[in-house]
Amino acid sequence: MYRFILRRFCYMLITFWMIVTVTFVLMHNLPGDPFANSEKLSTQQRALLAKEYGLDQPISVQYKDYLINIAKGDLGVSFAYPTRRVTEIIKQSFPASAELGIESIIFSVLIGLILGITAALKHNKSWDYGAMFIAIVGVSIPSFVLGPILQYLVGVKWGILPAALWDGPANRVLPALTLSFMTIAITARMMRTSMLDVLHSDYIKTARSKGLSQFSIILKHTLRNAILPIVTVLGPITVNVITGTLVVEQIFAIPGLGKYFVQAVYSNDYTLIMGLTIFYSLLLIVVMFLTDIAYGFIDPRIRLAKGRN
Amino acid sequence: MENILEVKDLKVSFHTYAGEVQAVRGVSFDLKKGEVLAIVGESGCGKSVTSQTIMRLIPSPPSIIKEGSILFDKKIDLVQLTLKEMESIRGSEIGMIFQDPMTSLNPTMTIGKQITEGLVRHQGLSKEKAQKEAIELLSLVGIPRPETRIKQYPHEFSGGMRQRVMIAISLACRPKLLIADEPTTALDVTIQAQIIDLLKDLQEKIGSSIIIITHNLGVVADIAQRVVVMYAGKIVEQGTVDDIFYRAQHPYTWGLLHSILRLDDDEKSELVPIEGMPPDLLAPPQGCAFAARCPHAMNICLNEDPQTQIIQDEHSMACWLMDKRMRTEIR
Repeated sequence: MYRFILRRFCYMLITFWMIVTVTFVLMHNLPGDPFANSEKLSTQQRALLAKEYGLDQPISVQYKDYLINIAKGDLGVSFAYPTRRVTEIIKQSFPASAELGIESIIFSVLIGLILGITAALKHNKSWDYGAMFIAIVGVSIPSFVLGPILQYLVGVKWGILPAALWDGPANRVLPALTLSFMTIAITARMMRTSMLDVLHSDYIKTARSKGLSQFSIILKHTLRNAILPIVTVLGPITVNVITGTLVVEQIFAIPGLGKYFVQAVYSNDYTLIMGLTIFYSLLLIVVMFLTDIAYGFIDPRIRLAKGRN
Repeated sequence: MENILEVKDLKVSFHTYAGEVQAVRGVSFDLKKGEVLAIVGESGCGKSVTSQTIMRLIPSPPSIIKEGSILFDKKIDLVQLTLKEMESIRGSEIGMIFQDPMTSLNPTMTIGKQITEGLVRHQGLSKEKAQKEAIELLSLVGIPRPETRIKQYPHEFSGGMRQRVMIAISLACRPKLLIADEPTTALDVTIQAQIIDLLKDLQEKIGSSIIIITHNLGVVADIAQRVVVMYAGKIVEQGTVDDIFYRAQHPYTWGLLHSILRLDDDEKSELVPIEGMPPDLLAPPQGCAFAARCPHAMNICLNEDPQTQIIQDEHSMACWLMDKRMRTEIR
């Protein structure tokens, strides 16, 4: 198991390095530069600024410096907000995004699993159809449609929950629900299929032939095997949620990281874009890494196969 | 000898979109205490459905037990039990081994846990005691180093070893009856012989009665005392091993016997397959189900189903060739 984790960790570092490199190359091939919009600057001033930020150096040197800085945990100073470091911006606005993301993932997994399990156990009955209807609605309505609908109905017309902003716990419900709706649908559908699969497998018949009760068969033999595919998609689900925050934060006026990301792209703010991209990637890679480890814990076959070679 | 199991006129159907498939159409047989009974027949003849109905493992719907009774241990009719009551019989009184050991074990649970589960459920053993018992069971079924093996997962076992584990699971509570549904079909030939030897050996040690379902007549001759030959959901012939192998009376049994290789055959003799296909059980034929494939079929075979008649002691069969009126005519 330790070797397995160590291997995964090495893969993680390699992936991370590749992302940093690709982002760096892409950024420096974008047309325009961060100071192109400031028309009042003279060529001389511009050269000074370039020197100040190290943009006059050859690309290879910039790349080397950048890698070293990242290793130190320094993502540089924002071009558009010269007084603020990128890490500072992240530190300040990430908590709101993270909270929203985590709440959404908890929503997705909990509601999704419950829907999926109910659907599988009540296969071809009205419960099943109901759950799958919700799932289809969830997959087909994008968050930028669902968000305003919820804001209007729940927030404005019925006035049950606040329609926007980020003040108290009640503010969390609508955005988290909007963000998780799609993943609830995915989780529910996958769990249903995988439960049905397992319920029809031979080892469940073996378990029944031992005289175990229906309840303990489901608890001990079905769930653990059925949840494997869900653990696999937890990574992609997190990606979904994280990219979703960009949109949902705008709709619900939440002071998160998403706002900065969009603005940074408009203003060619190299350091901020790269810093945020790298930060988001790191987040995803860590999630994938954790998913892999969780998978190894749940399925002994993976642990062994990976540990051997 | 006392009967441990009496199956009487069992009829099982499946409801499908196409209509009612009559998988088992009136099957009756007895099993004595300590006896090994083989049920043979080709695929789709209803032998697996019969055995799984005894365990009540076939989901309902789509299946229904239309008629008949399965009297277990002289007192309990398994057909009448609720599924909850059945749970206390499964595993403790009747154990079952399945065909494919590669898929019959839970891949995410240790072997030990899978064996002890039944012990904890039925005999209320503590975890430690059950663990000890499981180690004993594993060595009983011939798995070396049971103390380490017990902590391993199914993927760390070979096919033959997994079938041994399955046997250990099914015998954990020393059931009175063991149903082995094609226990050797998925294994290669050398392992098949080992598993059959193991079953024979355990049968002597534990004294369970065994129903073994197979289409391998070699296995039958090796382990069974009595044989039931099924065709299209009915029993066409049953008797002792000697009755079936040396004094078979039903054309279908002859067909089965001719289609296997024998050591004492001379070089010129050829295997004779049974031509044709078994009938569609959605609409079973009016007369004898085997008539369409039977080289000896007569007019009456197409119109009327022959009754089961006793030939001698335990040997009985259902064929018009054995009708009293027929016999006198032939002679």
